Amino acid sequence: MTSPVSWYRNPWRKPWMLGAVTVGYLLWSLAPVLVAVLFSFNAGRSRVIWQGFSMRWYYGDPLRSVWHDQSLHTALEHTVWLGVLTTVVTVPLGVAMALGLDRWRGRIPSAANLAVIVSFVLPEILIAISLLFVATVLVSPVRLGTTGQVIGLVTYQLSYPVVIVRARLLTIGRDYEEAAVDLGASPVQAVWRVLMKMLLPAVFASAVLVFADVIDDFIIVRYLSGDSSTETASVKIYNTARAAPTPALNALATLMLVASLLAVAIGFFAYRTLTRGEKGGLDVFTGEA
Amino acid sequence: MAATRGPASDPARRLSRRALVQGGLLTAAAAPFLAACGVRTHDYGELIIPAPNHPVKWPLSKRYTAIASGQKPKPGSVLRIYNYADYVSPRMLKDFESKWGVDIHLSTFNDADEALTKIAAESLGFDLYFPSYDSVGKLIQANLLRPVNQDYLTNADNLWDSFRDPWYDRGARYTIPYTIYSTGIGWRTDLADVDLTKYPNPFDVFWDTRFKGNMAILDDWHTAMAMVLMRDGINDINTTSSHALSRVRDELISLRSTMRPKVTITMYNDMPAGQYGLAQFWSGDAINMPYYLPKKVDVDVLRYWFPPNGVGEVDNDLCVCLGQGSNPVAAHYFMNAILDETSAGQNFGFTGYQPPLKQFTPSQLVKQGFVPANLATAIVQESDFEKGLPLLELPVTADTEYHEIWQEFKSGG
Amino acid sequence: MAEEIVTTAAAGSDDNEGGVGSPWFWRGLALPGTAWVLLFFVAPLYVVLAIIFGSIDPILRQPVPVWDPLHWDFSQFNYVMGRIFGSDAYFRPAVLRTIEYVAIASFLCLLIAYPVAYFTARFAGRWKGVILACLIAPFWISYMMRMLAWINLLQNDGLVNRALSAGGLFDVHEAWLSGHGSTVVLGLVYGYVPYMILPLFAGLDRAPVSMLEAARDLGASRWQTFWRVTWPLTRSAVVVSLLVTTLPMLGDYFTNDLLSGSPSTSMIGNLINNAVLTPGQTGQAGAFVLVILVISVLPMFLYVRSTRSGTDIAV
Repeated sequence: MTSPVSWYRNPWRKPWMLGAVTVGYLLWSLAPVLVAVLFSFNAGRSRVIWQGFSMRWYYGDPLRSVWHDQSLHTALEHTVWLGVLTTVVTVPLGVAMALGLDRWRGRIPSAANLAVIVSFVLPEILIAISLLFVATVLVSPVRLGTTGQVIGLVTYQLSYPVVIVRARLLTIGRDYEEAAVDLGASPVQAVWRVLMKMLLPAVFASAVLVFADVIDDFIIVRYLSGDSSTETASVKIYNTARAAPTPALNALATLMLVASLLAVAIGFFAYRTLTRGEKGGLDVFTGEA
Repeated sequence: MAATRGPASDPARRLSRRALVQGGLLTAAAAPFLAACGVRTHDYGELIIPAPNHPVKWPLSKRYTAIASGQKPKPGSVLRIYNYADYVSPRMLKDFESKWGVDIHLSTFNDADEALTKIAAESLGFDLYFPSYDSVGKLIQANLLRPVNQDYLTNADNLWDSFRDPWYDRGARYTIPYTIYSTGIGWRTDLADVDLTKYPNPFDVFWDTRFKGNMAILDDWHTAMAMVLMRDGINDINTTSSHALSRVRDELISLRSTMRPKVTITMYNDMPAGQYGLAQFWSGDAINMPYYLPKKVDVDVLRYWFPPNGVGEVDNDLCVCLGQGSNPVAAHYFMNAILDETSAGQNFGFTGYQPPLKQFTPSQLVKQGFVPANLATAIVQESDFEKGLPLLELPVTADTEYHEIWQEFKSGG
Repeated sequence: MAEEIVTTAAAGSDDNEGGVGSPWFWRGLALPGTAWVLLFFVAPLYVVLAIIFGSIDPILRQPVPVWDPLHWDFSQFNYVMGRIFGSDAYFRPAVLRTIEYVAIASFLCLLIAYPVAYFTARFAGRWKGVILACLIAPFWISYMMRMLAWINLLQNDGLVNRALSAGGLFDVHEAWLSGHGSTVVLGLVYGYVPYMILPLFAGLDRAPVSMLEAARDLGASRWQTFWRVTWPLTRSAVVVSLLVTTLPMLGDYFTNDLLSGSPSTSMIGNLINNAVLTPGQTGQAGAFVLVILVISVLPMFLYVRSTRSGTDIAV
């Protein structure tokens, strides 16, 4: 990152055009969302005409508010549930895989590595459809509903922990675990007591990324959803946005937004605490895409 | 991030190509394993298609038996209902839940094709489904339905007499009627200056370029294509004639390119919101429009047209009990509730779709305020079913042909 | 992130062969993940093939997979290919439209993202943190939420039309949500721009300021500095950012569904989405999936190869 000092030393005049483009872009990117959030507090049914402030669509309305409408509740709960389940499966699986692949040379690991990488960059619809086919034509563990959704999400998200942990492993190097083994630790102990401690920030970061990404997921979750109890907030938004939405939908979306931002903020600060004093530790968050 | 760079060696490049080949080989090796997982297959004889002039009495399913009489739904059990969005009243669901202590999970689909695919997977355990009679034959012949135990349907006497023993299911062994509706033309006088009398055929209105970009047609292949057939003066809306179908195709393509129609099933929301002024309409959605209309717009601007001679698309939807469900008893109670006057009233009030019950006589609907006078054309009469044209199930080859035309239409030129 | 992923693929350091203890220990660690990928990513791709080249159940019209490649039936695949390339090519417009929309949207994304990332990396100064947070925020706001926001704005009586009518001065009734290609492109740009800004920012931020200073010291104009130094330095970041936005756009169908709903703007994603749950057309959806797979894997491998030949400096 450019330090403020080098910025002050920068001999160039500030290009106001670029600044204007940036400010314009920020307005354009955030204003519509803020408007949508605003209308979740609308007193009337309309999502375009402001009729006064109220919490009606959060808990006031006895039938259609997020609090009272069972289907909106379920969507919210299921979203978080999928986030937790996927994170709990993906992170250990991915971390172990990263460790193993990093120390295992050969065709199998490089093929596995390649598959993980390919799975990340491919359009999500490919993973979703292929698993949907498995779920609809085969009698297998991949079933429409929570199981299928978690399997799909884990497959899609596995690359986060694998890549983040491997990047970190490269900076750590071999010295620590070799020292531990020289001092009489078994490989298991060396990995668990030494390596894992050092990998903790990376593991933590990947958990946050996976969680935040899963609760916003749409394609995999929709194709592999079963009955209504396995529809998440984004599926609900998609289904209802085209039919007859009320501001309760905006309220649901606002709650999701708060959940995402909260998860990321917590992750961000915890990560900063964990990696205090290390340069470039935040790259995981800023280079995220 | 910084650590991941580094010049890669040539062996690495070769490796990746090998890895690809290897991946392919591994997949091929996995084939027998996949085959061992087991595939769902169906085995049945000739496809039977019921029609008004060819009524069918279905044999009782050997796979699923009717439930024993006299049971009560288990409190706390889950009833899984699979239906279109906004096609059952939330109030009715809540009342049913609190009356029987049952937890209802309502899942929705966008069109009958999607529904059939998910039901055929048989893993979701839906108890109740709401098909049109064009898919009832398939569902029964693929052994997916559970016969209904009539003992539970104490409200069946409320049904219009002509619906007690329907042609698509003689003896009402598998189905109960849910709603009745016609398919016609809806418009808003303030957004579209429509005068159907000035066209040789009223359906020509959908090809009138004055309404370009201001119209929509139903996202339902058979309903939409039947409209095109009727425009061509072909009242056999289940035709298998390739000649007629190729005309339908040409007209749909010209409709798409000259009119840029929206293709959707959410007219009941979009037209009140002012997104377009003219659309192909289901009568139930037309009746439902006032509910979605902004307060500042007068209900008087809404119109619905159905051929005054009664020769138009008239259909009814059904409710069936799926064998895959785990709560058939509650399902039977729910079917009975559908036939109950109060519940049916709640449903009608919410969805706009008319129940074929004696309590809802068409002449009373306007008087009781269910339907505004300017939409009285959307009310379905019992006699409409005598002259009306039903959408039937199609033989496989024709079905494929219809679907291909529809697919071409939807992929956009 | 994607940049790392792609370059990690290329990184094959030979010096750290093996770890402490038995190699089987490390293999054991990698095994569950490898098995997972094999079982739930690679094997399902074979199921897709078995369905594309499989048969169809006669009544419910559901796909029946055929596992043995010797018994594969190519009619569904040929059907799709014939409709894309053949004489009766009614899928072709949708394919071309997809390419057109995605190309325009990607170009617009780059046009917006590059200056924004450039400004943030170079000139934002003490505002950098704040701007960066705002740039990242949309990434964490669900895509559906952001589309919902635009649906609200673009409705007939929405804010956009009301702003355009300047308080009733003009009579504006533009139905933005009824099949406007431009609305769909706008949605795509709006939806995917954040995914592009971040890798671009990472690339620009890493480009050494000293090189730029040197260029200026040697008398290059601002434009020359950009074109001769900054652009080449960030070229690989541009390629990566284009990859991570363009590939997902290729499979997008919901933007179109939500913002247009008209067949006249259908994209490949919509063809897949329409076919996949239509009885009798499931195999066609599989064939489209195959098309997208080919389209998306090729540029990725080309990129990986180019980074390996040592041409890239910035990454």
